[in-house]
Amino acid sequence: MSIRLHGRLSSPPLSTGRKAGHPADLPVTLNGDRENGERVPSMKSVLWVLIGLTLCFAGSAGICEAQALSLLQISESKKPPGLLLDSPKYPSVSSMDLTPMAQLTPVTAETSSSSPPVAGETTDDYEEGIPDPFEPLNRAAFQFNDKLYFWILKPVATVYKAAVPQGLRIWLRNFFYNLEAPIRVANCLLQGKLTGAGNETARFFLNTTLGFFGCVDQAKDKFGIETQDEDLGQTLGFWGMKPVFYLEVPILGPFSFRDGIGFVGDLFLDPRTYIFAGYPVMYVVRPVEIVNKTSLTLGEYEELKNAAIDPYVSARDAYFQYRENKIKQ
Amino acid sequence: MMKNRFLSLITFLLVFLALGPASSWAGEPTQQIKQTTDKILAILSNPSLKGPTKAEERRKVIGQTVDERFDWEEMSRRSLARHWAERTPEEKKEFMGLFRDLLERTYLDKVDDYSGEAVTYEGDTIDGDYASVKVKIVTSKGKEIPVEYRVMKKQTHWLVYDITIEGVSFVNNYRSQFNSVLSKSPYSELVKRLKDKTSFPEKK
Repeated sequence: MSIRLHGRLSSPPLSTGRKAGHPADLPVTLNGDRENGERVPSMKSVLWVLIGLTLCFAGSAGICEAQALSLLQISESKKPPGLLLDSPKYPSVSSMDLTPMAQLTPVTAETSSSSPPVAGETTDDYEEGIPDPFEPLNRAAFQFNDKLYFWILKPVATVYKAAVPQGLRIWLRNFFYNLEAPIRVANCLLQGKLTGAGNETARFFLNTTLGFFGCVDQAKDKFGIETQDEDLGQTLGFWGMKPVFYLEVPILGPFSFRDGIGFVGDLFLDPRTYIFAGYPVMYVVRPVEIVNKTSLTLGEYEELKNAAIDPYVSARDAYFQYRENKIKQ
Repeated sequence: MMKNRFLSLITFLLVFLALGPASSWAGEPTQQIKQTTDKILAILSNPSLKGPTKAEERRKVIGQTVDERFDWEEMSRRSLARHWAERTPEEKKEFMGLFRDLLERTYLDKVDDYSGEAVTYEGDTIDGDYASVKVKIVTSKGKEIPVEYRVMKKQTHWLVYDITIEGVSFVNNYRSQFNSVLSKSPYSELVKRLKDKTSFPEKK
């Protein structure tokens, strides 16, 4: 699957170790577009491009809103769109959460409607999942990412796995995870999770020093300080924003509208945005990180595909459930 | 993707569970799940069932053990959701068989990949005839994977009707897939797809 998918989704189970999908994808992707390789593009310009892309998505969302609504409804009820716009199931456009943060009520395990108590009907009231008005496009992107994984990423990661001992690869993974600590601290604070922010700060200093620049998770192993994995997408969700719609992005992988915004916002907090900016090494860092990560999760995407009746829907739903669950934590 | 180990662990779980020390206050649901796990572990370590030549037989015995703990009907009912009521008794029976075969085919040989992952029991919560059993698996790569079994009581047995890994519910995931197929195609298409999945040799 796609690169980010591997980070963020395929790894839900692995999430404790790292947060996926971070900015460094960008230098990689955009590098090819530069006609002039001599000048290193500044991270700023990369950021602006990203912001532009996001705004485009947002814009197209607005334009296609009605269309999207009807598409969504057709696919769910097999009725012509005209009838559906009156459907009580989707009373108004605003219920699509395009005004997502109307009421600033934090989502917690207690308030969230989807948090299942033990009660019997837990899974019966499961909602249809994340709206997917761009399903045909998303499916095309999913196919693209699928091929990208099987034709490029997987072979490269397989060779890398054979060449580099697992211990070393885990160190590298931890190193990058530690680098993202500022994102977690800031988003803990934005959600008022003071303990989490404190823990993440302590972890960052302990692991950066005692843990050889974050390679070893001493904070947890020696001090029992657990990570609190937060990002801006989760912060937005915490304050009531819904995912709005699903978007499978070529190369980057699965997003919701909400988490796409979070992804861009987190770039500003990511030390890699600043540390490596302006140095040629920035073009190496992200690919290495991605290949390293993939080498530790080989086989997971294959298993998902193997178990699925419709791999695209399975992946989309897993991403949705995984992110909703993270917001509750 | 998702993923996605979340799906891949179903069988692992039953195996690994026995390895963790059951917490001292573990209730009946935890104990029963641990029982099943112990059985599977015993099968795996049984010398007369070891080796690739015995794979088929081993698979069969493990499958039977899992069947005793899993409520396939409840799982099928919840996965098909509103489409379940529209099915005839024969269709329901066929579906349960196919669903079970799909999961078995996908996961049972994962058991052979077991590599010493540790499991801790995080306790269970009981609410009438329903309960949830929480465990944590620590993989060889140093990751902690939270897993939750949803079980319901039938007579004296607590039977599994859903497994949630890292917040991703198995039943919900299949429900979204079944819904997607059924929103575009008739029920026969879903059955055909399930049959295709279960009849072909596993792709590696």
